[in-house]
Amino acid sequence: MSVSDATTALTEELAARDDMIVCEGVNKWFGDFQALDGITAIIKEREVVVVLGPSGSGKSTWIRCINRLEAHQEGRIVVDGVELTNDLRNIEKIRSEVGMVFQQFNLFPHLTVEDNVTLAPIWVRKKPKGEAEELARSLLERVGIPEQAEKYPGQLSGGQQQRVAIARALAMEPRIMLFDEPTSVIKEVLDVMKELALSGMTMMVVTHEMGFAREVADRVIFMEDGQIVETGTPEHFFTDPREERTKLFLSQIL
Amino acid sequence: MSNTDQATLAATQSQRPPFYRDATVVKWLAQVFTLLLVVFALFFLTTQALENLNRQGIEIKYDFLSIGLGSDLREGIDTDPDTAGRALWAGAVNTLRIAAGGIVAATILGVLIGVGRLSSNWIVSRMCSVYIETIRNIPLLVQIVLIWALVATLPDVELDQGPINGLLHLSNKGMSVPRLHIDDGFYQWLIFIGAGWLVGTFVKRRRERRHDATGRDTYPVLSFLAVLAAFGAVGWVAHPMFRWVGAIFDFIGDGFSSLTPVVVQVVLSLAALAAAAWWIRRFLARLRTPAGLMKLTDDDKFRIIFAGVGALAVIAFMLVGWPGLASWIINSGTDLLGVIADKFGDGRTGQPLDIKRPDVEQLGNFPNPGPAGLNLTQGGAAVFFGVVLYTASFIAEIVRGGILAVPKGQTEAAQAVGLRRVTMLRRVILPQAFRVILPPLGNQYLNLTKNTSLAIAVGYSDFVQVGQIVYNQTGKTLEVISLWMLFYLACSLTISVVVNFFNIRMKIVER
Amino acid sequence: MTVPMGDPAATAAGSVEPWAGEREPAQKPDEPSLSAGEWLTKNLFSSPVNALLTVVFSLFVFLVVRGLLNFMFSEERTWRAVKTNMRFLFTHAYPQEQYTRIWVCVGAIAVLSGLSVGLLARVGGGISMKKLSMNLMGTGAVIALGIVLREPSAIVDDEGLALHRDVSEAVGGSFAGWLDSNAFTVLAVLVLANVALAVWFHRQDTYLRGGPEPRIAHGALVLASFGVLMVQQYASGEVVRESFADAMLDRAWWWLAAAALAGAGAALWIGLGDARRRHTFVPAMYVFFAVAGVMVLSSWVYPWGHYGFLEGEFIAEPGSTVAMTTKLPWTVMLLLLVATYHLGRVLRAARAGPKLRVPLNLLWVLTPFVLYWAVLRDPDLDWDHVLSTDLPMALFFAAFGGLVMWFLAHPRIGEAGRVIAAVLVAVAALNWVAAYLGWYPMLQKARISFLLLAVVALLAHNFAGDRSQRMKLVAAWVATMAVFHWLVTLVNSPSTVDTPTDALIGGFGITLIVAVFTLLLAFPMGVLLALARTSKLPIFRVLSTAYIEVFRGVPLITVLFFFTLIFNLFLPQSMTLVDIAGATIGFALFSAAYLAENIRGGLQAVRRGQYEASDAVGLTTVQRTLFIVLPQALRVSIPPLVGQVIATFKETSLLAIVGIFDFLRIADKVISAQSEFLGVKREGLLFVSFIYWLFAYNMSKHSQRLEKRLGVGER
Repeated sequence: MSVSDATTALTEELAARDDMIVCEGVNKWFGDFQALDGITAIIKEREVVVVLGPSGSGKSTWIRCINRLEAHQEGRIVVDGVELTNDLRNIEKIRSEVGMVFQQFNLFPHLTVEDNVTLAPIWVRKKPKGEAEELARSLLERVGIPEQAEKYPGQLSGGQQQRVAIARALAMEPRIMLFDEPTSVIKEVLDVMKELALSGMTMMVVTHEMGFAREVADRVIFMEDGQIVETGTPEHFFTDPREERTKLFLSQIL
Repeated sequence: MSNTDQATLAATQSQRPPFYRDATVVKWLAQVFTLLLVVFALFFLTTQALENLNRQGIEIKYDFLSIGLGSDLREGIDTDPDTAGRALWAGAVNTLRIAAGGIVAATILGVLIGVGRLSSNWIVSRMCSVYIETIRNIPLLVQIVLIWALVATLPDVELDQGPINGLLHLSNKGMSVPRLHIDDGFYQWLIFIGAGWLVGTFVKRRRERRHDATGRDTYPVLSFLAVLAAFGAVGWVAHPMFRWVGAIFDFIGDGFSSLTPVVVQVVLSLAALAAAAWWIRRFLARLRTPAGLMKLTDDDKFRIIFAGVGALAVIAFMLVGWPGLASWIINSGTDLLGVIADKFGDGRTGQPLDIKRPDVEQLGNFPNPGPAGLNLTQGGAAVFFGVVLYTASFIAEIVRGGILAVPKGQTEAAQAVGLRRVTMLRRVILPQAFRVILPPLGNQYLNLTKNTSLAIAVGYSDFVQVGQIVYNQTGKTLEVISLWMLFYLACSLTISVVVNFFNIRMKIVER
Repeated sequence: MTVPMGDPAATAAGSVEPWAGEREPAQKPDEPSLSAGEWLTKNLFSSPVNALLTVVFSLFVFLVVRGLLNFMFSEERTWRAVKTNMRFLFTHAYPQEQYTRIWVCVGAIAVLSGLSVGLLARVGGGISMKKLSMNLMGTGAVIALGIVLREPSAIVDDEGLALHRDVSEAVGGSFAGWLDSNAFTVLAVLVLANVALAVWFHRQDTYLRGGPEPRIAHGALVLASFGVLMVQQYASGEVVRESFADAMLDRAWWWLAAAALAGAGAALWIGLGDARRRHTFVPAMYVFFAVAGVMVLSSWVYPWGHYGFLEGEFIAEPGSTVAMTTKLPWTVMLLLLVATYHLGRVLRAARAGPKLRVPLNLLWVLTPFVLYWAVLRDPDLDWDHVLSTDLPMALFFAAFGGLVMWFLAHPRIGEAGRVIAAVLVAVAALNWVAAYLGWYPMLQKARISFLLLAVVALLAHNFAGDRSQRMKLVAAWVATMAVFHWLVTLVNSPSTVDTPTDALIGGFGITLIVAVFTLLLAFPMGVLLALARTSKLPIFRVLSTAYIEVFRGVPLITVLFFFTLIFNLFLPQSMTLVDIAGATIGFALFSAAYLAENIRGGLQAVRRGQYEASDAVGLTTVQRTLFIVLPQALRVSIPPLVGQVIATFKETSLLAIVGIFDFLRIADKVISAQSEFLGVKREGLLFVSFIYWLFAYNMSKHSQRLEKRLGVGER
């Protein structure tokens, strides 16, 4: 599957936008196991992409490569015009451009919710403390948990933690948000994610939540065995998939 | 941000970042810098030491080991050693003796106390916990000195020594008990035991297999012991037939001594290179994928380079830094083989083992413990009981923790399938508890061995105390301290290896 | 700053955030209390084996306890040796006329402890009334038991020596005499009777039914055995003793004390109802104050005796109260402690806790240095030198370094910052190379200051921020320089305190000082070693592993010998290290290896997700380590760390071997060589054991409580 094939399925309007993430022939192995096999894709600005696929298909590895939590071994990844190499400056730049929300939230358990959110703005963005706290309060408001600021993550429910994780990622004012299988997708979290998508954030979401994919996604990418099998708009993808493997997957999951 | 097409993508390509921004290079720079710092610090200290010694006209030499020592040792295999080396050897044997005996005694006591602490009997569990809380919160050295002071208040030595004459002597000079004396022909007999072990293991395996096949009781352990006993009994009289073994060692020793240092250096250099090559091969093998060898990252390249540099550094050290190493290896290897050869031979026809009972001898006006029994002098008793009591309190806590770590469900399950109490303990509880107990237990054995060095405070002739005598007489402090460290490192390494061996075996059992 | 800066002291002081799953010690469900008979049946006589164990072990306990009591209270013990040498044992030869300095140190520690405990201890909790009253009654009972168990006192002559009777004198005739010669037979018969009873009751299934017969029968036989042993001892022995009745009368004061304690406990027990007993708590500090208060008060009223050793003169006045130079300072100390504790409570009520925590911890770290070098050592400052060299140099480094920090902490300094840092590193390195090659002279403290500046400059970009943040960094640097240069000046000045040995102070004082400085040195080293050992970078890992394994593989005593005997050989000629400094370095290097292993355990407990999340929000490695990884790892490793603190404290006794007059050496070698107390060893050694035990036991108990509170080690 080539880049041009994928783009034909998109609208004219999409094609006119800037590229946010460009992956070209990305390969990655863990020992003998090839986790990513020639991933080539372009994600445009303000696009919401949902990545689907059975477990172990390389979805998580792919988005972790985009923010250099894993280093890819072959091929190239360019994020917002910056290529991911060993260059410390590029890594620094990309990490502050890309926000990430983890499957297990990975909140810092020894810091209060507010400190979780203000940590990066203060120490990475070098914001004054007052400004960072202001920002944290408005973000917690936005994700709907302003009253939990003084609590510790261990005292929150799963959904609340998920929203703190989103607020923490947004506090860096990123241009791109990556979601790695947000597990407890309760309604409030989904609302926050939808609101984010409508606000024009570029998003890549690895999820099993078909509802979200149908409603919000601009594009769905289906992966298996480290390869991109099929790409398309949600209507096209869910109603009329081309590939056999996609059909099999959908029949199992729906 | 412009529209990124293939052209702009290509434009960003192949721009290697400057070295100070390259993540890999920066990491390796930091590492190499630290390494250099450490090497430089060591180099600085060493040159200072050499310079200072030079100024005082002293050389670092180990030849004092073969020079006579003007004082006697209080106890050990040789109380009147000819040379300092022999004295240190006697001290080392004393250390090992007390450590080995201490490990056995501390384990027994520790297990008893640990189990006792879990007892449902109030007075037993209370007593055990009082013991633990008291003993482990008092420094070992204080305990050793206190025991020494207490032993000093025991009665004087008398010819008719008590409490049990001929079996257990207690006095202010220490303690005597019967000992096993290694006699003529012991090592020849050991060959029989070794053979018996092999045959016994074979028989045991066969019987185990038959048990698995038929389900009948085949007593594998019992038959193993029976075979071993049979070989031992036959060997007791037949061991002189192995008198010729010494000649073999003599022959090997001759061959070894005829080697030239260059040969040894070449062999060692090749070994270092082979080790590096083996490491690199293994490293590359891990990077091989079905699609062929992966592109090496910079980090990988640095690692490979460092393995090679390390091997070369070892070789350079051997050739330039310490040229005498090769001849030292040849000499000591020849000596070692000679000593082994000496353990076999024509004169060795007596019985292998002998039991000797303690006695009392009167040389001047005062009776003294005689040389026959296993004597623990006042200092020896203080060290031995000190380390045993102290370590036992730690072992007790480990044992208790290990038993508590076995989930209650295991006991209930074992009872549910109708296992008897003994079988349950042996097959269900202990194997699981042992897995938790073993690693910290190994640490305690290590601590016990190292703690025997406190003997110096009460004058027991262990390795450290003898070392102190030696450097007081020869002034070779640096050399003696280096010997101390090497000796104890070797002991620690041995204990770690043994514990790890059992650890791995336990893990296999687990599967 | 919003983030706790991985401050080691903050964690070590045991301040616990709620995140770690802190909960109140699990409230046990109220168990129905057993009656005495039921309790005995359940815990001592539940089965034949259990009953026999009880019999054998109570005999054993009886013998041990009685032996210990007889030993301690024997007329032949010279406890006077310990009393007379009390100051010697705690401070060795610290001059009497300067002793106020010691009290200032103790006072400073009392003030800090009072404040910290008052500020940080939780409200509520403490010791329940039930436990308190039971402990009081129990102590009373134990004292009463001790009074009865101890053999009657010997009859002493005018010089206080026990009268001996002729050994050959026959005891014969009486029942006691018969018992003395047949004691073992009688005891054997009693034990066999117990076995027979056990078998008989087992046959009858009495144990299963839980009837009272076993405990009554076994108990009677056990008591009979005790009686046999007591009578036997009274009959035997070489010393003439008073009668049993006289002995009981002689111990009237002890009876009174036992009765008072038991009475107070009973009054508490009866006064409060069942539920209130369990749910009313007294703060532990108040119990401590009460006990300490009684002890201090007794020094004013009770004739403990006045013993001392002043300028070679032995003083022994058994009838008087404790010397004013002892009781007055201790009273002041207690008052200080009480006052500061309450001050702490007031501050806590005013919610000043979170603000004061960091300054308080910094004070704790700084105190040992100040107390040792400024108070105890009383340096004789050369003011000309101070004003001409020390002060200008300190000001220069403070100003220059502050300026550098101000620039380097600018948020947009970028590559320029790296260049400046690199230049500073080069300058610092050059200073050392020049020292080695002898190019230009420079004070050692200037070289160290440059090195510090270089290290800080390398790290500065991690802490860049807005104006106030940069001001904080500059202030921190200036404060560090002030303290560093001040301390170096103090260390370089000669002491005005005149002592006969190299070491300023000896005895328990040196034990504590060495332990504290060892830990202060070893802790940062341990953290760095642990980080290196868990690092992904191979050379760091190999170096750290080698260090840790070598130091864990050799005995401490060989390390100490190395650093006290020959380490000076490894230094340039102009430098020498006194024994005590060498020993402290040896201790620190050794402890660092063990601390590193403990901290490594904590580091491994930090989940991978924490690293990933920190990377994903863009923290640098240094920021990640300081703000995320270390705070979590150290919190997990608090219990083993406290264990290591205890171990280090105990290991300081090895100072005695390398020839430093520490606590143990004084008791072992010095007292027994004084002409008044020739050969008196056991008393001093027992006292030393007790003091060590007191400290180590309390620390380990505290650690166990912490462990429970943190929920670590729970299965």
